[in-house]
Amino acid sequence: MDQTRTTIALVLAILYQWIARSVAEPLALADLPLIVVVYTALQGNTIRALLFATISGIAVDALSGGLLGASGFSKTLVAYLISEIARRVYLENILLKLLTLAGASALSVLIYYLSHRLLGQAFSDEVFNFLPYMVFMTLIAGLPVFLILDNLTIEKLREARKTDFFSSRRQARRRNPIRLGRKV
Amino acid sequence: MVERSQKEIWRISPWLAISLLIANFILMAWDARTESNQRILRVWIQSFASFVQSPVAFIVTRVNDYVDSYLRLRSAASENELLKQRLHELEMRLQENELLVSENERLKKLLELKEGRKYQIRMANVIARDPLKWFGTLIIDRGSSDGVKVNMPVITSGGVVGRVTTVTLLTSQVMLLTDEKSGAGALIVELGKTGALGVIKGTGKRDLLEMRYVSGSVEVNIGDSVYTSGQDGIYPHGLKIGEVVDIVKGSTTTPHLIFVKPTADLSSIKEVAVLLYEPPKLDEEILQGAEGKGGRK
Repeated sequence: MDQTRTTIALVLAILYQWIARSVAEPLALADLPLIVVVYTALQGNTIRALLFATISGIAVDALSGGLLGASGFSKTLVAYLISEIARRVYLENILLKLLTLAGASALSVLIYYLSHRLLGQAFSDEVFNFLPYMVFMTLIAGLPVFLILDNLTIEKLREARKTDFFSSRRQARRRNPIRLGRKV
Repeated sequence: MVERSQKEIWRISPWLAISLLIANFILMAWDARTESNQRILRVWIQSFASFVQSPVAFIVTRVNDYVDSYLRLRSAASENELLKQRLHELEMRLQENELLVSENERLKKLLELKEGRKYQIRMANVIARDPLKWFGTLIIDRGSSDGVKVNMPVITSGGVVGRVTTVTLLTSQVMLLTDEKSGAGALIVELGKTGALGVIKGTGKRDLLEMRYVSGSVEVNIGDSVYTSGQDGIYPHGLKIGEVVDIVKGSTTTPHLIFVKPTADLSSIKEVAVLLYEPPKLDEEILQGAEGKGGRK
């Protein structure tokens, strides 16, 4: 069920990205597919995050004047880095999640810019002027998206984590009669 | 879906990441190889996206028109506090009519343009803009079913807008003149009065173009018009591009650097016209030239 919800969130994010600039220019600064990718990576769903990153990247590139695969490349790299960080560092706090999202947004744009330069493509240097705005807009959009997705998926996630990480310890506690207060 | 253990996921993920990164990189390198954007993947995704973008564009246009008329109504009401209800109603109608008149005038201009040109024209509505901030492309609601092909020029009554870069059955992607990548097409232009040739390049800014390689000995003035020369193999001769707004003067040994403001309003385009123009093939031109020389002898 969680998978379906995050997949629906990604599809909606891609649709948003396709139409945002037609509605209002500043809306295009928020990278909604990246928010969903980062959220999935922070949840520890590395495989899904990687696949989401590539699919959403190519879907956006196809309608853009940029290189096909450049967004996919940058988002995939960012998704992998974040899932590796999430594996090692405790990032359950919403502020830490948003901080990670800000870093991911900036890194994604920089990788996108560098990949174009690397392949000899013309790319406006205005990217550095817009980068803070882009990070800011992604953060603003990221907060409600994270909260909504958390509310939709957190219960399942908690259950899964309990069984994943603490099941063996609990079993040990159950088997220990002294701790349970039984007389031997 | 198969449930995997966390350990299994950690084992697989680096390999999946590497393979996806390589796949994306190959796609990028393949796309960078040629100038044309006509890729099957783009065509498929654009065809699918048009079903979302067209209704959204329609709704956005309607809402904008409504908001415009509402704002106009509010300003009119504040200026005419003492007028009666009847007058308000009349003003509302007048404003609705104004909208219709402005739309009518815009279409008329485009029609005049259609009649004045010797090339066939397809009118088109802009249904979307580039999803990324960094590039200047538009999606229009005319595709190969309307006779649109890659590299066909796109214009408005103001002047040249850009050229078609990708064509699907129902939609096309247009790269604006101001896009930095548009310079790859080497748009050769001429200055109105002197006829001096130069190359126009996008600057990435929506209202500014750069004109290079104009000899420093040629006299250029602010306000001079810039037209297409017809020598780039994309645009026909004589389409207006813009007007000179700034010049970094050259000398006899260095060329001028000229800044041109496009006459087409590229920031708020709603309708455009695609010129169904295909430049004469080079082989034919050479053959004709050779025949002409032979005839003279």
